[in-house]
Amino acid sequence: MKNWKKWMSLLLCAGMMTGLSACGGDGGSENTAEGNDSGGSEGTEITLWTYPIGSWGDSATVDGIVAAFNEQYPDISVSVEFLDYTSGDDQVTAAIEAGTAPDIIMEGPERLVTTWGAAGRMVDLSDLWDEGTISDISAVSEAVVNACRSSDGAYYEYPLCMNAHCMAINYEVFEEAGALQYIDEETRTWTTEDFGNALQALKDAGVETTGIVYCGGQGGDQGTRALARNLYSAEFTNADHTEWTMNSEAGIRGLQQLVDWEQAGLLSHDAGLQAADELQLFANGTVAMSFAWNASNESNYAEQIDFTAYAMTFPSDDGVPELDGGIYGFGIFDNGDEAKIDAAKQFIQFVCDDETQGPQSVIASGFFPVRSSFGNVYEGSDQEERMTVFNSMMPYLGDYYNVTPGWADQRTAWWNMLQNIFNGNDVTESVNAYVETSSAATQAASGN
Amino acid sequence: MNKRMKPTGMQKALIRRETISAYLFLLPALIFFVGFVIVPMVMCLVTSFFNYSMTEFAFVGFSNYVEMFQDEIFIRALLNTILIVVVAVPVVTVFSLWVSSVIYKMNGAVCSFFRCIFYLPVVTGTVAVTVVWKWMFNRYTGLFNYVLGETGIIDSDISWLGDERTAIWCIILILLTTSVGQPVVLYVSALGNVDESLIEAAQVDGATSRQVFWKIKWPQIMPTTLYILVITTINSFQCYALIQLLTSGGPNHSTETIMYYIYYQAFRLYRYGYGNAMGVILAIIIAVFSAIQFKVAGRKND
Repeated sequence: MKNWKKWMSLLLCAGMMTGLSACGGDGGSENTAEGNDSGGSEGTEITLWTYPIGSWGDSATVDGIVAAFNEQYPDISVSVEFLDYTSGDDQVTAAIEAGTAPDIIMEGPERLVTTWGAAGRMVDLSDLWDEGTISDISAVSEAVVNACRSSDGAYYEYPLCMNAHCMAINYEVFEEAGALQYIDEETRTWTTEDFGNALQALKDAGVETTGIVYCGGQGGDQGTRALARNLYSAEFTNADHTEWTMNSEAGIRGLQQLVDWEQAGLLSHDAGLQAADELQLFANGTVAMSFAWNASNESNYAEQIDFTAYAMTFPSDDGVPELDGGIYGFGIFDNGDEAKIDAAKQFIQFVCDDETQGPQSVIASGFFPVRSSFGNVYEGSDQEERMTVFNSMMPYLGDYYNVTPGWADQRTAWWNMLQNIFNGNDVTESVNAYVETSSAATQAASGN
Repeated sequence: MNKRMKPTGMQKALIRRETISAYLFLLPALIFFVGFVIVPMVMCLVTSFFNYSMTEFAFVGFSNYVEMFQDEIFIRALLNTILIVVVAVPVVTVFSLWVSSVIYKMNGAVCSFFRCIFYLPVVTGTVAVTVVWKWMFNRYTGLFNYVLGETGIIDSDISWLGDERTAIWCIILILLTTSVGQPVVLYVSALGNVDESLIEAAQVDGATSRQVFWKIKWPQIMPTTLYILVITTINSFQCYALIQLLTSGGPNHSTETIMYYIYYQAFRLYRYGYGNAMGVILAIIIAVFSAIQFKVAGRKND
């Protein structure tokens, strides 16, 4: 009896220890899409984390890309994990601090260069940026090259695609209200005066909610930034990306104009909404325009929309808008394993540079290539007509100021500032406070 | 005359063997507790004295604590958190006690039905519940504005989560619905365990319903009440998910809570040391509140 108890005790202890060991085991394979692992025992395993950039958030698409890669590189196995914009940054932060960061990550320079690169967590990809690559990308936009390069000269991002964020109107509502006269349908541009007239026409026609300046968080804040700064052609930062400049005369005038329209009942604001909420209201026809539009959103909401979502540039005083851009590409976390870094570079070059795969990778993003050599990747496809509209807006791409140090603090300060001015606080004081907060963050991030 | 007998050598060996077995059984849980609770707590305390970010790790003494009490947003978050606790804890406790008092006498199926109803928001998950509430609070398509507008109570639509005056109360309302489930279940169980013979004896002696409740039932459910008070207080202090999903702390920091601000500093601005310092202060505040509750409710329980 005594022996029986002893053995039972040992068995139970062993069982519990095994359970605990299992808890502490490598759970990395969960929720990951394994690539075509044809590598032998000497093969290299790398991990790729992607944000939902078009179909790069879709496992079937990414598995196909990984399979194509493995046809050329059978010794490299790629595990994929899909992030979302709600919790993705938190997952990456936790992984960095735990020493379990992925080998490759896909997003934009504001994260890869300004945040993780500046913190010394990324691998310098300068060896991928040869002269041919630089001239190929510069031919499309010099800003892309600059955005991927850190202030210390290192390249922390290898770009794949880009887009221009714009706005959209409900074409039929505008037509019924007689507001189409205020837009240039050929260039998809309008002036600030035209925009004001269109708002008035919509209101006169009984449209309850013309547009909503959402400021419930940072989601889709590029829309409100572009709206406010374009109205009187304000610059968001200085050319060196070292100072925030929306407290300029033009910036304050643009924000004051928004408040004036809101007080006149021509425009709404809502501190309880973010871009996703506004897009949903636009998609179901509640609001007549969206300030958070782009090619990807048009595709995402296509099934819900039963009207013509007509893409437009943001209104500006001179009729020449300056749109906010999005640049997306790959970076490599420095996990100290040269073999993995080399394998990651091979994956990135295959996805971005390969003559066949490169354009396919861009199409998967739903945006446009950063390389001029790729030409029109949508030519001859069923998306050609739709993408031609958005492609026509690419020349309006403005400065990529998202790489300014202290970016994360600035984003929070921005929507809080919008809440302040719409709550009746003085616009100048609120903008100055916003600039002060953002500048302090920039100085702290720059180590000054 | 109870004279304690000295254990023999054999007895000592048996005691030692049983003690070793007991510790062996405790060991896995102990490793888990130390590894995932004690060590992180100590690390949190230690790093709160450091300027700890993604790029720096330098000792700064009490600087984080000094900065915290000069940080207007932290003070705002602290006041908001206290407001949530002060409103939510009594309301949850009283409401769940009232509901339980009514339903525990009902027959089994009906009682279970009501328990399920009140427990549903707990098992549904915060995200799903929040999505529904977000829709109801929506200024343009929400249920509240529709009903209040149709009945003529309001003239124009209200941005419930976008207005400083209403946002925090909306958060508290949702918190109440997700917090009453467990207390209701616990109270129903506690009231069902009250000794019937004592109640009958009191009734025979002419006690009124009110007297039966306060003199017989209340003292017997006091341990449950104490548990509910402490748990609800801790949950209310740690209100985070609702803020993250609904308001991001806005408008104008009117729904900022300490937990959300800790998250924001640590995960958005990468100021781990500062976030940990706030975590230490929050833990101290929760400990003080819990101690007071133990002292007050525990004394009555003795």
